[in-house]
Amino acid sequence: MNLLLTLPALLLLALVFAVPLLRYGWLSFHADSVITGLQPVPNGGANWLRLIEDERFWQNTVQTLRFAGLSVALELLLGLALALLLHQRWRGRTAVRTITLLPWALPTAVMALGWRWIFNDPYGPINALVQALGQPALPFLSSPASTWFVVVLADVWKTTPFVALLLLAGLQTIPSDLYEAFALDGGSPWQALRRITLPLLLPYAFLAVLFRLAQALGVFDLVQILTGGGPAGSTETLALYSYLTAMRFLDFGYSATVMLGMFLLLLGLTTALLLGRRWLAGGRA
Amino acid sequence: MGLRSTLRYAVLALLLVGLIAGGALWAQRRQPVIVTALMPAPFAQATEPIVATFNRTHPDIELRVNRGPFETESISDLAISSLLLGDSPYDLLLMDVTWTPKYAAAGWLAPLEPLLGEDALAGVVPGAQEGNRFDGHLWRIPLVADMGLLYWRTDLMAAPPRTPDELMATASRLQRSGRVRWGYVWQGRQYEGLSCVFLEVLRAFGGQWLTDSGDRVELGNPGGVAAASWLRQLIDRGITPRAVANFAEPEALQSFEAGDVALMRNWPYAWAELQKPGSKVRGKVGVTTMVATSEGATAATQGSWGFSLVSQSPHPREAALVIAALTSPEVQKDLARRLGYTPTLSALFEDPELVAANPVLPELRRALDHTVLRPLSPLYAQLSDILQRQLSEVITGERQAPAAMERAQRLSNQVLRASGVGTSAVEATP
Repeated sequence: MNLLLTLPALLLLALVFAVPLLRYGWLSFHADSVITGLQPVPNGGANWLRLIEDERFWQNTVQTLRFAGLSVALELLLGLALALLLHQRWRGRTAVRTITLLPWALPTAVMALGWRWIFNDPYGPINALVQALGQPALPFLSSPASTWFVVVLADVWKTTPFVALLLLAGLQTIPSDLYEAFALDGGSPWQALRRITLPLLLPYAFLAVLFRLAQALGVFDLVQILTGGGPAGSTETLALYSYLTAMRFLDFGYSATVMLGMFLLLLGLTTALLLGRRWLAGGRA
Repeated sequence: MGLRSTLRYAVLALLLVGLIAGGALWAQRRQPVIVTALMPAPFAQATEPIVATFNRTHPDIELRVNRGPFETESISDLAISSLLLGDSPYDLLLMDVTWTPKYAAAGWLAPLEPLLGEDALAGVVPGAQEGNRFDGHLWRIPLVADMGLLYWRTDLMAAPPRTPDELMATASRLQRSGRVRWGYVWQGRQYEGLSCVFLEVLRAFGGQWLTDSGDRVELGNPGGVAAASWLRQLIDRGITPRAVANFAEPEALQSFEAGDVALMRNWPYAWAELQKPGSKVRGKVGVTTMVATSEGATAATQGSWGFSLVSQSPHPREAALVIAALTSPEVQKDLARRLGYTPTLSALFEDPELVAANPVLPELRRALDHTVLRPLSPLYAQLSDILQRQLSEVITGERQAPAAMERAQRLSNQVLRASGVGTSAVEATP
């Protein structure tokens, strides 16, 4: 009976998830490009061998992990601070809660164009300020060292509210009598944060990280509009590479391989996270 | 059921069938054939009155224009997505010159010579004729010509520089005198525009992107290395701002329009922008072709837009009629007069009315004699992508020019070899 009830959901999952995945798996063992007239021709494991030797794939993997790692870490920290702030009772909290959510509600494309203008050299507002202070304009978006950081900044600005929202929901599930009892026993607010809030918030933080990591590893629109993957390919992500390979180069076989490579990476990371969490929970028990 | 009632029902059914069939036939006769064209937003807007006139004068065809995105590559993404699904809603595509071989090789286009004749391009300027044929067929009729130009400030110099050395000297002198902040701006962002800029410099130094046979990339040769080194030198000497590494056309235009720069590489559209009331350099701008060394030749990258017929179109004959009408002398003249679009038909460059309205028209005609085509290959997007990345490394100082060009050559040749082609690109080279 239980199985029967979950059947519709399982079928839906199979349709939107398993079918494309299997199709990609099949495609990754075929040459299917503008050269083959867009007809799939079996080519053994040639695509996978190419993937292993593809410097660009590995460079993009490092860049994608770097981007996802730093932005999710920053979002978690800032999101926690924001959630704690918004959980306190103070005048104007409702208004601030709404305002905080605004970046999350903005379309990424609009926001990316905005950041491109804000960091424009030399006419953007930040450089106007820099030059007003008598300093030469800074080429934020024209050096690989700084550009990827601008991309992280844009992502953090947009998605911190999402993390904050999840954590805020978590904070509201913690009963206040826990804090009262702890205070009666002479615990300081700092200790309360460490002993009560953070441990009880852990499942929510874990959920937020999982969501954000999956999104950040597949980041596309932000990078496409803000930098186009440049300069010198320094901000190109795996999703962007896969898109270029399919839509610009019309090489669908290899694009599927890049996509699957990315999928395996994500699968590995998620598994590691799950195992880490189980280990953490086990250690506590 | 009796015989009579059966008969009655049969008659009734027959009457009904007749009515429906007759109605359908009648509707068929009244209904014009619908031809749908996908165009970038600016073109869709520009051709609105032209389309209205066409529909008025052709009651048997209804031309519908689908307003696409603004950006070149976004249009391609939209078109490709629909073509891949196999049931494209478009009969006609307004295409960038570099897409033709890719689309033709994918089987998405129908050859035009059976519908419009072998001499369909007869009146077109030679420089704009290239890039429309591939693999022995005609795939595209150009509507608007586009080519790379060198913009110079007439109030700062008596004549524009003719060689790369002269350009550097003039720019440096003007910067030292404090009359401009920067000497020369161009498009240095990692995107297609960078390949266009580089192709001109490459030719200026006598280099070649693809060999004449079309099966090997030669960027690592002295011409390629010299061209990339020159772009780097412009930045090293402070003639070009470092920010050029993120400059597309709007950013270059913005700094030139603000009066901050002595020279700029851009497309013809910039001329009209620079003459607008808000421009600080209005009436102080000249247009010429790119600088070149004695080993090379002045070159203008060709970047035209033209109409192609989608092979899935159910009405190829009507669609071809639309192509002929929309690329006619009247339409091109109208676009040139109203919006300053560069025509592709030779005769229009001598039209007194157009020359009077657009003083740079003779200069554009001259530039069209120096156009160069980006490699005409289905693999062009990949080759260009490789080049852009390596150039971006040179521009940002991540890699030295010789190493970067050697790498671009190696990676490009890998792509060509892996695909087992080069051969189909050979036939395409005019």
